[in-house]
Amino acid sequence: MSEDKMQADDATRVASVVDDRDDEFKWHTGKQLPTGVQDAIEFVDVHKAFGRNKILRGLNMGIPEDKISMILGPSGTGKSVCIKHMVGLLYPDQGDIIVHGKSVPMMHDDELFDMRKKFGVLFQDGALFGSMNLLDNVAFPLRQHTDKGEEEVMEIVNRRLAEVGLTNAGDKMPNELSGGMRKRAGFARALVLDPDIVLFDEPDSGLDPVRTALLCELIQEIHEENGGAYVVITHDIMSARRVAEHISVLWKGRIVESGPAEQLFNSDNAFVRQFLAGDSQGPLGME
Amino acid sequence: MEWLTVPREWLTSAGEIAKFCGKILGQVYSLKVFRFFGETLRQSGILIVSSTIVIWGLVFIIGLQCGTEGAYFSRSVGAPSQAGVFAAWCDLRELVPYAFGYMMAAKVGTGIVAELGSMRISDEIDALEVMGIDSVLFLCATRLLASWLVLPFVYLAAIGAGFFASYLAVVQQVGDVSSGGYFLVFWMFQNPPDLVYSLIKGMVMATVVVLVGCYYGYNASGGPVGVGTATAKSMVLNIVMVHLIGMLGTQVFWGANPRAPIGG
Repeated sequence: MSEDKMQADDATRVASVVDDRDDEFKWHTGKQLPTGVQDAIEFVDVHKAFGRNKILRGLNMGIPEDKISMILGPSGTGKSVCIKHMVGLLYPDQGDIIVHGKSVPMMHDDELFDMRKKFGVLFQDGALFGSMNLLDNVAFPLRQHTDKGEEEVMEIVNRRLAEVGLTNAGDKMPNELSGGMRKRAGFARALVLDPDIVLFDEPDSGLDPVRTALLCELIQEIHEENGGAYVVITHDIMSARRVAEHISVLWKGRIVESGPAEQLFNSDNAFVRQFLAGDSQGPLGME
Repeated sequence: MEWLTVPREWLTSAGEIAKFCGKILGQVYSLKVFRFFGETLRQSGILIVSSTIVIWGLVFIIGLQCGTEGAYFSRSVGAPSQAGVFAAWCDLRELVPYAFGYMMAAKVGTGIVAELGSMRISDEIDALEVMGIDSVLFLCATRLLASWLVLPFVYLAAIGAGFFASYLAVVQQVGDVSSGGYFLVFWMFQNPPDLVYSLIKGMVMATVVVLVGCYYGYNASGGPVGVGTATAKSMVLNIVMVHLIGMLGTQVFWGANPRAPIGG
């Protein structure tokens, strides 16, 4: 697809999600401002409920290729559920999730496991395997999915650990590490197969502001080096200002607005303005 | 009809457990599990190191009880030389399988629930999945195969521990019968098929305990409290299943034919 055509598509893809009958969606313009690049991941009218609790309620969202995208939104609005849908850990009740042109819910198990090799995921607490030391944790995907010899595996693992500043912690067990170190180790493990798409589930949770800033810098540096679609889920505006190239604001299971970061930070939408400014006055209250 | 809600939930739950266990058995039967043979060997090692001594110890104590009861009972009916009958049946047919089943449920089953449950709530299972690894295959099928590789030997050795303990109680402690007299009767009242039947009982118990442990651990939810609840539920189900298997095993293997040199 040519770039002009894609831009035209993007420009016309101003979703008409506003449901006039329902006042709770009055700030949800669903506007997806053009990014000029193809989407790596697309959510098409995705609905998901857990029992009576409706989490995603007609989510339409695109994650552009080769950019650091952030999904921002208040707590409990369905951000982590989005990540689980991207990698097929959850399936939508309705709608579709498309990764590099292929529908995730339609994939067979083998196809799904194969598709997941494109992904690296950093979970909230790192999700390191408690029975393995750091070296084995980071080496695990390489040992399972490649035919590399042990020497080459260790060379890659040590390089990745060095990138995240854990050169001398290889023989430590996960329970001997601080929260920040576990996150960095999880980051190293997520990157070890050179994935096309890296997902970060609240990388800043539980970290002090300085370490959050350092982690954001690390994400930026590694993205510059490796490229790929990075998706960061957070409700920390400072992190968004530091690293986001593309922002999607999610609330009540739908996109309020999404687009390039600088345009979102200057949005006219009162909800987006309030949330990105971290202001107490505006449409978002304690409810 | 409201009164049907609880039985319907039980039925649904039984169906889910059966489906999950069927998947694990299928992965072992189709040999897919050999993709992770290293993990299987690791789990085998953990079983040997952490559970063997406890199982043997419990069975040894049960063997002492069988011997003591057998010796005094046979003395009370004026046939102390027949103490070996009681010990042979008590050890091989009933109490070794039960003691083995109890210890499997208490040590191995709950251990699996706790380990898999904490992996579930700390996202480790999700992490495996997103690395493109079939987590049921990696975590559950490997544990089942490991138990099949290791536990027959553990069980046979446990029978040996039970026999030895009964011998100590009857011949060395109570001492109403000589060693030769005890063994004559003891071996007369059992033969190799009985050993195989006993082994089948024990292995079916072990298989069920591992599968139930995997189900409750893998599907745990609700944080640490949820893992605790899942552990308790698995223990209850496993104890019920151990008794059911014990009862059915005795009915099937010895219910119609006591396989004993009594009468004609």
